[in-house]
Amino acid sequence: MNHDIRSANRRSTVLWVLLLAATVFTWAVGEGGSGGAAIAALLLGVAALKGAAVILDFMALARAPLLWQLITLGWLVLVCALIGLAYWKGMP
Amino acid sequence: MRAACPPLPAPRTPPTLAGDLAIWIFILAELLAFGVFFIAYAFARANNPELFAAEQLALNRDAGAINTLLLLTASYFVVRAVHAAEAGQSRHGARWLVAALGCAAGFVAIKIGEYAAAFSAGISLSSSTFHMFYLSLTFFHFMHVLLGMVILGALWLNARRGLYGPHNMNGIESGAAYWHMVDLVWLILFPLVYVIR
Amino acid sequence: MKYKSQAVAMPYFIAAIGLFVAQIVFGLILGMQYVVGDFLFPEIPFNVARMVHTNLLIVWLLFGFMGAAYYMVPEESETELFSPRLALAMFWVFLIAGALTIIGYLTVDYATLAKYTGNDILATMGREFLEQPLLTKIGIVVVALVFLFNITMTVLKGRKTAISVVLLLGLWGLAIFFLFSFYNPTNLVLDKYYWWWVVHLWVEGVWELIMAALLAFVLIKVTGVDREVIEKWLYVIIALALVTGIIGTGHHYYWIGTPEYWQWWGSIFSALEPIPFFAMTVFAFNMVNRRRREHPNKAAVLWALGTGVMAFLGAGVWGFLHTLAPVNYYTHGSQITAAHGHMAFYGAYVMVVITIISYAMPILRGRACNSPKAQVLEMWSFWLMTIAMVFITLFLTAAGILQVWLQRVAEEPMSFMAVQDQVALFYWMREWSGVVFFIGLLAYVASFFVKGKEQPAGA
Repeated sequence: MNHDIRSANRRSTVLWVLLLAATVFTWAVGEGGSGGAAIAALLLGVAALKGAAVILDFMALARAPLLWQLITLGWLVLVCALIGLAYWKGMP
Repeated sequence: MRAACPPLPAPRTPPTLAGDLAIWIFILAELLAFGVFFIAYAFARANNPELFAAEQLALNRDAGAINTLLLLTASYFVVRAVHAAEAGQSRHGARWLVAALGCAAGFVAIKIGEYAAAFSAGISLSSSTFHMFYLSLTFFHFMHVLLGMVILGALWLNARRGLYGPHNMNGIESGAAYWHMVDLVWLILFPLVYVIR
Repeated sequence: MKYKSQAVAMPYFIAAIGLFVAQIVFGLILGMQYVVGDFLFPEIPFNVARMVHTNLLIVWLLFGFMGAAYYMVPEESETELFSPRLALAMFWVFLIAGALTIIGYLTVDYATLAKYTGNDILATMGREFLEQPLLTKIGIVVVALVFLFNITMTVLKGRKTAISVVLLLGLWGLAIFFLFSFYNPTNLVLDKYYWWWVVHLWVEGVWELIMAALLAFVLIKVTGVDREVIEKWLYVIIALALVTGIIGTGHHYYWIGTPEYWQWWGSIFSALEPIPFFAMTVFAFNMVNRRRREHPNKAAVLWALGTGVMAFLGAGVWGFLHTLAPVNYYTHGSQITAAHGHMAFYGAYVMVVITIISYAMPILRGRACNSPKAQVLEMWSFWLMTIAMVFITLFLTAAGILQVWLQRVAEEPMSFMAVQDQVALFYWMREWSGVVFFIGLLAYVASFFVKGKEQPAGA
């Protein structure tokens, strides 16, 4: 049991560091000042990955019934996809 | 035939939701509300990308990024608190919760600074569609951070009394799930409103 | 009946049903006037019939809520009512004040009524749903305060449950928001702005709390599911109702001169208002499916489930249809609004009051449930009224769509009255559905008088 928890702690710590790094990356891209479709898609993708990490590990949905995984991840994918669609629609 | 089958491996615990079903229904409703708000923002922007981009550039991205780091860290601390409770160390978990509350307080302070700057610059709900969304979305989220802090505070009081343990995880898991939701929506809000142009 | 003082609920329930019948009679008159304009003119002009129809609805629902509270609170608090005599006295005050008001509406013209009742001292009349004379409004406040005092004292001296706390919250909110009916600024925008604090924050705010509490109470009783489970749902439902309902007020602020951001706020949050109603539907069915016993009062269970479904359809789905600002731009104040209003009031509030009456009335009359024969008739009335209401809603929706098209979308828009002639067929069908509804209502009343073999109390 305690062994499980230690490994879970380790996994969460690694994810936390990765999430911080991804945030700094997003910030740096923003500071770089570039825009455009590719950048928007990249940043949305990063946001979706970060969201998935929080959902599956922090919210512990990785060990939840499939239905709940589908609902929460489905929300994430749908929201990001619709945002992407709106950006694509708004391209000059 | 049946007797010939090899013994099954010890069954793994069946998949379960961490936290109460009621809180998860509530979380889904919250996710839906934020989701609708995000999508409304994105489509409103599509009608006027130049204006949105110009006003977006004027936002304080440093503050937004630091706040993201703070929320992520608070979330991580809450995870550690849950793990501690699962290991039967509820009081140890209480200290992680205090740390999480500290990060949340930092978020609130920075956000208030941002609002103060915005209001002194004459930005209001009526000044433009972008500012309407910026203030509405962040303020709606801000209220959730405050509620999340109340919940974390309640968890802390209970954890300190050693209430949580491997056989009593429902309360702390429910509260933790709510806090992670507050974090999760910000992970989309930050790039959407502050960065992506 | 566990506590003697619960008996004060009975006159409230009887008055509620009586006024319900009167409301439907005026509904039928009104429906007729849509197609035969001078029907009963000049005795009952259209505006008076409309006022009586809507005011009676509110008054009888308030009777129902009060009766429900007097029935539920002693049982939840496990103590007798603080003062049954006060409750009975307030019943007569409210009934007489209500009757005098309606007589006033019907016998003198509105301006004269306003003059006689002190409207020049404090002008509060003349606004939709808040037409009551100043004296009546003050009477409502007095009755509400005494009622709240009585109920709150009972809860304070007894057991405090989630259900009674939510009920109290809803009832106090009801009284507090009614106070905005006394505030009548000359600026028309501000007037409308605060008018909605009564109207919207009642039906899409605090009344939902009352409804959820009533439903939870009946579900505990008829299903035997653990109180803990039911209370958890209750908390989630009221949180959702308040979050969506309060900011959802914005969907009334689109076109009245308020800032533009309300179009976003109103659209987004009111679009989510179906969620608490959906949760109530899931809640009701879930609890009945997990029931620990078969309650002999089948009719009450049917009404409880019906409330869940019809409230979601009427308030949730039909509300959503025209709540988004770009849609509402066209549909505002059309027959689509009327369709939504009818099914939402019936599905949410009429049905929940009938649910509690259906559950409590047999017990108040000294038996666990009515005879099977009476219950069969009651269930017939359920189906007649509910199906009739579905058709009323569908016909009004059809009328509304046609109206919006002809009057606001078409290449060459027609005038309001010309369009009314065009949709007359739907108004006729609505009126006939109303007749079926009335027959259902009569069957409902008759079910109280059907004899037959009854089960003893305490089952």
